[in-house]
Amino acid sequence: MARGVRSGSGVSGARLDTGLLLACLALSLVALTMPRRFRDGVAASLRGSVLSPLVALESRAARARAAIESRDDLLASRGRSVTDALNVRAIVDENMTLRRLMGLAARLQDGFVVADLLPRRGVDDDFTLTLNVGSSAGIQRFAPIVTADGLVGMVDRVDVNTAFAITWAHPAFAVSAMSVDNRAFGIVQAHLGSGVERLMLELKGVPFRDKLDSGAVIVSSGMGATYPRGIPVGIVIGELSTPEKWARTYLLMPAVLPASIGPVIVLRAERGARGVNQIWTNVASADSAARAIAAAGDSVSRKAALDELAARRLAQDSAFADSLSRDTLRGPPPSVRAPLTRADSAKADSARRARVDSLRPRVPTVPPTAARSGPPPVREQR
Amino acid sequence: MAAPLPRSGAVVAARAIAGFVLLLAAHFAVRPLIASRANVDFLLIAILFAAVRVRPGFAAVLGLLAGLAVDALAPGAFGAAALALVAVSFAASRVKAVFFADHVALTGLFVFLGKLVFDALYQAANGGVRGMGLVVQMLLWTPLSAALTAAVAIVLLTMFKPLYRPSA
Repeated sequence: MARGVRSGSGVSGARLDTGLLLACLALSLVALTMPRRFRDGVAASLRGSVLSPLVALESRAARARAAIESRDDLLASRGRSVTDALNVRAIVDENMTLRRLMGLAARLQDGFVVADLLPRRGVDDDFTLTLNVGSSAGIQRFAPIVTADGLVGMVDRVDVNTAFAITWAHPAFAVSAMSVDNRAFGIVQAHLGSGVERLMLELKGVPFRDKLDSGAVIVSSGMGATYPRGIPVGIVIGELSTPEKWARTYLLMPAVLPASIGPVIVLRAERGARGVNQIWTNVASADSAARAIAAAGDSVSRKAALDELAARRLAQDSAFADSLSRDTLRGPPPSVRAPLTRADSAKADSARRARVDSLRPRVPTVPPTAARSGPPPVREQR
Repeated sequence: MAAPLPRSGAVVAARAIAGFVLLLAAHFAVRPLIASRANVDFLLIAILFAAVRVRPGFAAVLGLLAGLAVDALAPGAFGAAALALVAVSFAASRVKAVFFADHVALTGLFVFLGKLVFDALYQAANGGVRGMGLVVQMLLWTPLSAALTAAVAIVLLTMFKPLYRPSA
């Protein structure tokens, strides 16, 4: 072991050590017992002279610690602010959803039931919903479920006070759909992909010549017993490549995203029978649909559509003759009058819709297609 | 093979002073940043490391000066730290041959006991804490502080061997 810096040795050194110890102890005791006034004076003079660098060093370190602590407080307060802001945003979103639902209810006027979702339970709950209304509220099996954004699904089972529904993501879901301009028809089903694509839809069976652009809105066509015409189903994202060479399949983004499914509206059968055109979208009139179907190549549908079209033309010709005589006597020609309206075959109440591109006179309202009752087509049954 | 060059006393003394100054600065610059109920006492480490290099009498003087500095900055009981450091530094200088060997664990034990004795003397001279608070202080916080101080001393002794180990 190395020896340090030492001075002195032997007995004199020991005496020196003892003397210094005693002196130091005596000074310490004096400092400890001196009156408070002297003690404070000595301490202040020491802090102001030889200890001033140490005082500055300590105060700087204390400020640094205070800054660190205040930084922690600042981060914590920022976190609280962000949490509060997110809560406010969630409330705003919920309010907006409820307002839009109220707007939809006002447009529907009657024939529907508003339902809340019950907490999920079970294995296949990703694709099913439990509603807090049942047969006691008039809910029936196969009733369509909608929100302000569009189609959610349909009621699958009904109890007295609850109902179970499948959403569009369910493998058994299918709806006959078309583009808003009636150009393309097909069947919309859940896209059974993996990952995020599992929550997409696909429009199958679109004739090869009917090409849809990205962003085209797809709505229910009203063909079938379950879904009335004109409910938004999804938006075309792009075309999927399939082995089928005679038909196209499109990938759709659902109109109602899974995260936004909250309170829903269940349409009763009588409301579905009256039609919901112009509630969400203005779907082109039925004769255009008939033409499109006829062009689709289905022989049975083509024959029915052509028959319907012929009847419409007959009625249109007679109505045109009537209107000419009436307009000659009473006012300006039809082309300069207010936009004309066409009938929607899917609507029992014959809701009017202005058409600015039509120069044809007003045609008489064609009775709506009789609403079918009963289960949906085979694909839609579970 | 050439023999190692002998170090002069001035170099050793300069290193010891540098080590002491660094620990003194750490006591006033670092300790406030990590202040808690269990503190690392850098000043006590500096006093103990210096005490083994000097005669017991000078160690007592060193303890007196350091204690007065501590008392001046925390004048609640002016003189208490001076009294405790005088006793600890003098005793450390006396028993350095036993404890301050090259063995790191012994050095840690040396610092641990020094901190325990210092706190005990300081609390006795200060008299600020009594009753259950004194018991908790002496049985909980003082041992924790002593352990932390000993750990830091071992780390310093390992990392800065030329500054704090006399034989280096």
